[in-house]
Amino acid sequence: MDLAIHTEKLARVYKLRDAKKEQPRELVALRNINLDVRRGELFGLLGPNGAGKTTLIKILTTLLSPSSGVAHVAGYDVAKEPEKVRPRINMVSGGESSGYGLLTVRENLWMFAQFYGIPSKLANQRIKELLDVVQLGDRANTKSSDLSTGLRQKMNIVRGFLTDPDVLFLDEPTLGLDVEASLDVRKFVRSWVDDNPDRTLLLTTHYMVEADELCDRVAIINGGQVLACDTPANLKRQLQRDVIYRMEVSPLNGLQPEALEALGGVRKVSHEAKDGASVLELILAEDDALGHVVNTLTGKDIHILNLQKREPSLEDVFVNLVGHSMTEAESASDG
Amino acid sequence: MQATQPIEKRAAERGVSGRTFRAAAWLGWQIEANWTDPVIFFIYSVIKPLSGAAILVVMYSVITNANFEDPMFAYIYLGNAFYIYVAAVLTGVSWTVIDDREIYRMLKYIYIAPVHVPVYLLGRGFAKFAFGSLAVFITIVVGVFFLNLPLDLSLVNWPLFIVSLTMGIVMLAMMGLVLGSVMLLIVNNANFMGEAVAGALYLFSGAIFPLTVLPAWLQPVGYIAPISYWLELIRRALVGNIAQSFPTFAQFSNGQLLAILAGLTLLFTVLGFVVFRYCDHQARERGYIDRVTNF
Amino acid sequence: MDRVPKNSGWRLFVQTVIGRAYPRIIGLLREHSWFFFEVFLPVLSVAAYVFIYRAIGAADVFIGFVVMGGAMTAFWLNILWSMSSQMYWEKQTGNLALYIMAPNSLMAILLGMAFGGLFSTGLRALVITLAGSLLFDVHFEVANYLLLFAVFMLTMVALYGMGMMTASLFLLLNREAWHYANLAQEPVYLASGFYFPIKSLNFWVAAGASVIPLTLGLDAMRQLSFRGGVELGFLPVQTELAILAGLCVVFLIGARWLLSYMERLAVREGRLTDGRR
Repeated sequence: MDLAIHTEKLARVYKLRDAKKEQPRELVALRNINLDVRRGELFGLLGPNGAGKTTLIKILTTLLSPSSGVAHVAGYDVAKEPEKVRPRINMVSGGESSGYGLLTVRENLWMFAQFYGIPSKLANQRIKELLDVVQLGDRANTKSSDLSTGLRQKMNIVRGFLTDPDVLFLDEPTLGLDVEASLDVRKFVRSWVDDNPDRTLLLTTHYMVEADELCDRVAIINGGQVLACDTPANLKRQLQRDVIYRMEVSPLNGLQPEALEALGGVRKVSHEAKDGASVLELILAEDDALGHVVNTLTGKDIHILNLQKREPSLEDVFVNLVGHSMTEAESASDG
Repeated sequence: MQATQPIEKRAAERGVSGRTFRAAAWLGWQIEANWTDPVIFFIYSVIKPLSGAAILVVMYSVITNANFEDPMFAYIYLGNAFYIYVAAVLTGVSWTVIDDREIYRMLKYIYIAPVHVPVYLLGRGFAKFAFGSLAVFITIVVGVFFLNLPLDLSLVNWPLFIVSLTMGIVMLAMMGLVLGSVMLLIVNNANFMGEAVAGALYLFSGAIFPLTVLPAWLQPVGYIAPISYWLELIRRALVGNIAQSFPTFAQFSNGQLLAILAGLTLLFTVLGFVVFRYCDHQARERGYIDRVTNF
Repeated sequence: MDRVPKNSGWRLFVQTVIGRAYPRIIGLLREHSWFFFEVFLPVLSVAAYVFIYRAIGAADVFIGFVVMGGAMTAFWLNILWSMSSQMYWEKQTGNLALYIMAPNSLMAILLGMAFGGLFSTGLRALVITLAGSLLFDVHFEVANYLLLFAVFMLTMVALYGMGMMTASLFLLLNREAWHYANLAQEPVYLASGFYFPIKSLNFWVAAGASVIPLTLGLDAMRQLSFRGGVELGFLPVQTELAILAGLCVVFLIGARWLLSYMERLAVREGRLTDGRR
């Protein structure tokens, strides 16, 4: 199999020192990651904040050494042969502000093109084309310090595609972009991969819909581990035999959502408070289990305000694997 | 009830100012000092000013064959020692704008917090003032013990020294506020403005040579530079006999000089707040408060 | 769709140098405030030192020394703030990660910074020298322009080689970078004799300070530019020239070695993208 990215038992441990310079604590950011991304694939890395996505990208882009294990990108070992990996990759991170404020958009992009050895004339031609794609053509001669956050992000996205890498890493690329711009970027990302079978793109995101719509395959990562890796359709198919309900109810009156999981036929429950009500996402083994849930809720004087049966999404896959929703995972990692 | 409102409001305002100043001074202290351990920080704090003083000492000794008894040496050495405050306070207050806007990217959050921004800037400068004081002290101690600086503590006019020093520091802080306010409108190349302005004022403040050394056409600049009066008062308070040897300000009594310094301090206080108001308005008008230039 | 052709080897190296020098040079043309902050105000600072010499009755040659030394401070400031601590700033803004990840060598990036810095700072130093000389009636008596030019160029190569070396050390630093750069400002003004002949210091102090290329470079340039300069010189110009050539080799090789060592260390410890403020 022709692999663009291959990792084996990849791990990274950070040593954290506190302000008082006591013994460093260890933070395990990645543990035993085994991942294969095929050439020509648009691969998604899905997980909450703090899951280890950015650490993995840093290792794959030669910016960070693994603590153990190996990683190959474009056929080369990132730790041992970074100079062979670098001409073949590029990266765009959401929310970053690369380049120099005193240079114009075009000049910043030209400068980065020089660092990749693209001849000036060709670089300028590509800059023009790509700026038009992201509708930034009319701002080519604006100093980048005068750009809004969203426009600066568009410039970064152009910087990533400009060098036509074999493997492109997009780390939360639509962060800071409005809905319309995000849609444009997603469309472009998909067509970029489809245009040439030699191109591979690894996208990290915590937007489930983005991963679902765009990616050929998705790895779900949490707590530094890959929990599942497959096409979005296959991942969702694992839940196909399950029944999924979205139930909006009055406040839970002290009822713990976990108590519902103890009921027969209830596989997973996630809970989110919303506008004074509670939203329960229920993954049930069979329709009949809904009766037990309803009885328990009404027994606690909780009213059902809305009930919907729906198709499984990647969010449900995440809940099924991790035990709680992405939002809950982020709150836990923030705390 | 209504009659007490203005009083309560003023008290609340004072509370905000006090809280702002304390928090800003604490933050300034952390930023200045907590990047290393105390020993390295102490060395760092004194080595820079001592080197500055040593440059003058070497220059002086090369030309005068190390004649440290000459009043000129005490004039230069003390003027330079107290000039440390000028760079420290001007930079401390004005640099905060660049530091918070470009590096820590916090200025916008400071702005939307219920604080007084000018008081915040002054508070942030306090740490540099404190470390500057340490540097001034060490520089003088080195001068007294190693270079025969004729400073006799029993002959020092302490009340004059304390009043002049306090007033001078307030004046410098307000000059710093003027500079910091201007920095709100400068979005690049302003990194070293505090030090550059202090370096330029070195020429006109009579710190290291009497103003009479300047060409006649430049001397008026020295006479309108407020730091000249402050340094003259400091010299008169600490080494009165040396000050007499350089009669640049002989026509003024101590009282008159103090009155001039008080007037200038008041002027810069008013100017500081007026310029801040103007620049603050302009900066918000132009959208510079949260500007990150990546220059 | 056709793939984009890319240069490698020496072509990529040259392109990178030009690419990184570009912002430095264009900045000079685009932002004119440097004239006020980096020429006008420094000229006033230089003037202060000139008047100290006048106040204590120094000979005219010292005025020339101060003007030349004052102009050369621009290069030291450039090394400290635009080469060394620049690395910390690049890390903060996210550019450092992009530089490392790109196929160019970091050496080319630093050379680009150096060339850009040398050009822009050279222009500033020239203006300060001209303004100072006109204002204070400094008389240059250059016996050998070629030698003067050679000394200047060797000094610059050694100095920017040193700058590249210190920049690689700064790869590992965070917030403390600013303070270390700040710490190296005045002590070097003192040790390198920016405002007085280095001969005035103890021989061993002056010899130690000669590690900084500006020390001997400035001393040799003063010897070659002013009447009476030779008597105030630290070592014979030829000796200083030879030492400067040695420093060039040491610093350039050292920079190359240290840069690759530090880059590996920074990648291992995860400090390339960890911009703690």
